[in-house]
Amino acid sequence: MSDRDPGAEPIVVGADAPAWRHRHLLDVDVLAADEIDLVMRTADAMKGILARPIAKVPALRGRNVTIIFWEASTRTRVSFEVAAKNLSADVVNIAASTSSVTKGESLVDTIRTVQALGAQMLVMRHGTSGAPYLAAEHFDGHVLNGGDGWHAHPTQALLDLYTMRERLPGGSIAGRKVVILGDILHSRVARSNIWSLTAAGADLWLCGPSTLLRGLDRWGGRAAGFPGHGRFTVTSDVDAALRDADVVMALRIQKERMDSGLLPSLREYTARFGLTLDRLAAAKPDALVMHPGPMNEGVEIDPAVVALDRAVIEDQVTNGVAVRMALLYLLAGVHGAEGAHDAA
Amino acid sequence: MPREPRPSAKTGRRGGALQVGATLADLEISRAWLVDPFAGREGAGEIVVRDGEIAGVTWLTGAAAKGVDASGVIVAPGFLDLHVHLREPGFEDAETVATGLAAAAHGGFTRVCAMANTSPAIDGAAVVGLVRAAAAASGSPVALEIVGAVSAGRAGEKLAALGEMTDAGVVGFSDDGAPVKGPVLLAHALRYAGMLGRPIVEHAEDTALTSGAEANEGLVASVLGLRGWPAAAEEAVVARDLAILADVVRDVPGARLHLTHLSTAGALDLVRRAKAAGLPVTCDVTPHHLALADEWIAGARRWAWEAVDGAGARRDPVGAGAPVARDPWTDAAIVAEPFDPDLRVNPPLRDPADAAAVRAALRDGTADAVATDHAPHTLVDKEVEFGLAANGISGIETALGVLLAAVDAGELTLAAAMAALTSGPAGVLGAWTGRPVAAGLKVGAPADLVLFDRGESWTVTPASLRSKGKNTPLAGRALPGRVLLTVAAGRIAFSDLD
Repeated sequence: MSDRDPGAEPIVVGADAPAWRHRHLLDVDVLAADEIDLVMRTADAMKGILARPIAKVPALRGRNVTIIFWEASTRTRVSFEVAAKNLSADVVNIAASTSSVTKGESLVDTIRTVQALGAQMLVMRHGTSGAPYLAAEHFDGHVLNGGDGWHAHPTQALLDLYTMRERLPGGSIAGRKVVILGDILHSRVARSNIWSLTAAGADLWLCGPSTLLRGLDRWGGRAAGFPGHGRFTVTSDVDAALRDADVVMALRIQKERMDSGLLPSLREYTARFGLTLDRLAAAKPDALVMHPGPMNEGVEIDPAVVALDRAVIEDQVTNGVAVRMALLYLLAGVHGAEGAHDAA
Repeated sequence: MPREPRPSAKTGRRGGALQVGATLADLEISRAWLVDPFAGREGAGEIVVRDGEIAGVTWLTGAAAKGVDASGVIVAPGFLDLHVHLREPGFEDAETVATGLAAAAHGGFTRVCAMANTSPAIDGAAVVGLVRAAAAASGSPVALEIVGAVSAGRAGEKLAALGEMTDAGVVGFSDDGAPVKGPVLLAHALRYAGMLGRPIVEHAEDTALTSGAEANEGLVASVLGLRGWPAAAEEAVVARDLAILADVVRDVPGARLHLTHLSTAGALDLVRRAKAAGLPVTCDVTPHHLALADEWIAGARRWAWEAVDGAGARRDPVGAGAPVARDPWTDAAIVAEPFDPDLRVNPPLRDPADAAAVRAALRDGTADAVATDHAPHTLVDKEVEFGLAANGISGIETALGVLLAAVDAGELTLAAAMAALTSGPAGVLGAWTGRPVAAGLKVGAPADLVLFDRGESWTVTPASLRSKGKNTPLAGRALPGRVLLTVAAGRIAFSDLD
């Protein structure tokens, strides 16, 4: 049986493409530069598909992609669902509330159950850092991490990278000043971006109030020694961070941060760290503005900034579908390679 | 290196097989390395046991000692563990008194102190009796000491039946698993237990600072996105407890404080200074805090002493020249998947520099003993997300191997490692109760000893552990020093002799 409909255009990545070596994608820290490049090129091909009148190819026809989210999310879950459906996969959606945890249903039990129900690829989001690693240990197919705790959000980091490469003049991140602004401590988006952006050679700055940067200076201070990864800067000085920036990515500030005493008030956060046109003026004139969503407009980012042409927040959403299609496609090509997700 | 065959250990076997519980009728070990920390002596020697008693100890010298060294068969006094969890009553699926004592014997231990966080808690004479009955029924000759709860039901509100439990023979009081709740209750407990001639054994943790915490606050937690568990949570309580102790001993001279499983350089330094000031305080450290570090959660699998900068590795723990932790990413030391729940423990595995401070505290006597904090758990409680996993490591069977690895690396002398498992904890327990608990390798005393082959390694596997708790991060690893025979009070507790 052919994998493709007769007449369907193949997904062309390039004959010189390196091999994809991972059975699961749990974080970006395990991806070598050539593998990140492969994701980018595959996503290019997927964008080509998205531009067709009927944005659908049969690459994953007959494959069961089960999407299971223990944390509420609309945009990421829908993005994965659209990506899987564009590849003609059979999609099963499960909203696993944390109540199943309180009922005593274990993660391992749930994983075994969805596997018995036919899941071949598992897209999961979980509130506990590291949960996908446990899932991967007990799942025979492929696990794609849709976000775990404060730890990792690899598809977001890769779509951010894709968007920067697409929109920055010259298409390279090397030497570009990229600022992530906001609640770094609780952010899996920031952590995955640290790996991918420093690997790409960005001059990365993490900026926010000191309570939301807790512990990050240890990592930043050491990063020079991390193999293949450059140093990044951790600061609460928003003006220094934004000066001559090429990319500014604001992160969502959650109301819970006030309740737990990490911030005095949202108003104070906005006054000191909110991304406004005034603050953005310190960045390069054509600096890209990004946000992984969902946004609190008027809190961490001013609506006037969102309205700028160089705010590429909707591009991030579109590119998210292409990047997730690319990752589902690449993972599906790796069959039963035990231990292919190498930690090193 | 070619090795000599197994000890020239002869067991007369007058009673037939070497059965657990049976009196050791006849044993002659010739040409072994004897270590007796009670006598402050080690060397080539011979030991003879007849009818459960040590009938002869001969230290070999000159030509007779030739060819016998500390790399082969070693005989030491039986080990004493100040801190174990036997889970009975209430959590028998994780461990029972019987399986816990069997695990202890397999680890070379002949006496253990069981903590009170059972269900119901050991907070009165009735539960003490229950646990003792289980020990008697087990047939194990390993001595079981009981640490009763400080507060009724370990609820942290009012004192448990401390006097009644002292009459029933408990050796101290602890709400371990949790700290004594609040400074007022601690002060009352120190005073009242001091009157009874018993210590308070403190699990030092400020639970407000550790609320939701998952891993030692440090580089590893930052990278992995785990909620930080600050050293300050331990140090703040140690500092507070020492201040309260200083206050209490002014009018209750019998008050004693024992700080268990200390894990940070700062906490140990506070104890170092308190001891210098003459406060009646002792402390223990665990094998895992001296040999493993938080980087294991990221997937590193090297010993903690391999993760500090060489220059500072052997220096003393504070001030300039203190050891500096390396990171496993720079060193390309990540070899396993991250987030192994078997690494979740309270207090958490710390920075390699803290682990170095733990070893330094053993060397300079700040730490009185190694205690395992043996904490068996079921697979159901451990095979879950890292942050939801039960805290604890099943460690009583791997303690010897971990300490010998430290000895092999030159981090501890063999004498210091053996002292930390024998005379060290015996001194602490003796001070708790006011009566000596062990005699060492002394002629005429009941044989209480462990025989192990330091040159033979064994691989830690679920099947190799007698404990019901298979929750060890050392699974799959080869450890030096296989226990061949454990004899407690003249009776066989464990035997692997052919």
